[in-house]
Amino acid sequence: MLLVRLRTVTFLLCLSALTSCGTPASSFSTVDVRAAQPAAPAQGQIPLPNKSDTLKFAVIGDNGTGEKAQYDVGQQLAQWHTKFPFVLVVMMGDNIYGADRPQDFVKKFEAPYKAVLDSGVKFYASLGNHDSREQRFYKLFNMDGKLYYSFKAPKEDVRFFALESTYMDPDEVKWIDDELKKSNDKWKIVFFHHPLYSSGKTHGSQVKLRDVLEPLFVRYNVSLVLNGHDHTYERIKPMNGIQYFVEGSSGQLREGDLRRGSPLTAFGNDSDRTFMLMEIDGDTLTFNTITGSGSVIDSGVITRRK
Amino acid sequence: MQMFFAALAVTVALGIGQSTAKPPAQPPPTPVPPTQVPPAQVPPDKRAPTASPKKSVNPDDPNAAIIKDFVKRVDVYVALHKKMEATLPPLPKQTTPQIIDQHERALAKLIQAGRKGAKQGDIFTSQMQTLVRRLLLPIFTGKDGAHVRNEIMDAEYKGNVVLTPTGRYPDEIPVSTVPPQVLQFLPKLAEELEYRFVRQNLILFDPHAHVIPDWVPQAFK
Repeated sequence: MLLVRLRTVTFLLCLSALTSCGTPASSFSTVDVRAAQPAAPAQGQIPLPNKSDTLKFAVIGDNGTGEKAQYDVGQQLAQWHTKFPFVLVVMMGDNIYGADRPQDFVKKFEAPYKAVLDSGVKFYASLGNHDSREQRFYKLFNMDGKLYYSFKAPKEDVRFFALESTYMDPDEVKWIDDELKKSNDKWKIVFFHHPLYSSGKTHGSQVKLRDVLEPLFVRYNVSLVLNGHDHTYERIKPMNGIQYFVEGSSGQLREGDLRRGSPLTAFGNDSDRTFMLMEIDGDTLTFNTITGSGSVIDSGVITRRK
Repeated sequence: MQMFFAALAVTVALGIGQSTAKPPAQPPPTPVPPTQVPPAQVPPDKRAPTASPKKSVNPDDPNAAIIKDFVKRVDVYVALHKKMEATLPPLPKQTTPQIIDQHERALAKLIQAGRKGAKQGDIFTSQMQTLVRRLLLPIFTGKDGAHVRNEIMDAEYKGNVVLTPTGRYPDEIPVSTVPPQVLQFLPKLAEELEYRFVRQNLILFDPHAHVIPDWVPQAFK
């Protein structure tokens, strides 16, 4: 199993050497990963700047199980929020697994994230393959009745684009083309469920979708793409100048699902539930990836594309 | 009418609108050329303009007639859906799960009443079912076939599934992914309907009412 409980410094350094000496594109300065011992900051970890006027947000994916592990992540989100006051959370889909009766929205969303929701944090959902499309009308997902949408972040010059990748028809492709084209925002961040790059054994890279979307992302200077679907965490080596992440383990987890030695992986974890915290300050984005028990397992800095 | 044009355009794009002197009762299998690039994989600015169905489709073509008939049947369903939905209070763009659920169930009830006696095969006629299976065959037998199948069959629920015409979509079964290469080979649907899969059955899914108007059994093997 890849990266099971990274315990020794030697192993960490070996891992870093194996996975982080890749080919970062010139416009990126993604920092090598260092992993943390549980409950102790790791040497080399990049701390979140936590400045007052920056955009702070969280990333969760494949979370809506209603099980204890999801609640653990929710608790960590709440704890981190007290010291790192993120204003929004973007969701990679599979927000409500199985039935989505009214009580399921409570059990699989409102209860696990109650503390964060009560703090006024807004969640912005994309839909996964396990989600009913009617979730777009659910007010706490802030989709405004739309399957795909964009919104301007409240701070910094950032625009998020949420796509529906389970059922992407030509109308949606045209929409994202038009939206990206007309966007003058410095940071363009696209999030949706199916990963264009993934080393997951279960699903892996969605090549057909990539053929459709990636040329648009490259053409219109998208800097960051966030996905889920594979129940792992994976930071992909920058591809065509774009940083991709798979964050699909905020509730679900498929242990041992990452392919060892995948040429795509800059860093991966398939043994812990995780979520991400991100902070944008001007042209740089700092991220920390945190487990359900509160350990930071990945961190780095990304510079936006220009 | 727009859907009809779209369907005919699909027919033309897929090369299934071939002329025959004597249209057979069951259209012969017409393999999709392996080099065919589905429209969604072509950047929008490089796509060929939609062909005019009046100029490009031979009215004697058996596949065009089958698709035209299918589109007509879909239109009947969509008209019923719209008529029934218009009698309900509109669903707010941002609302509660309770109201979403109530709206779904109320609309389903109205549509089920309007389609009393509906049978499997009312929308997907037997000819259309055969055509769908043939259109999907190269996708599932091609080099990406196993991957496409895995994506569609990615459902945690392993129990039995019983589909009933205009029945509620089973709550316990996650909706399936519909890979883009599948969508590109099927006639475009109105917003009120989607193609989905329940196991190997290709279903028409009404997401507003959360019901399954009709399906193609064993759309792929």
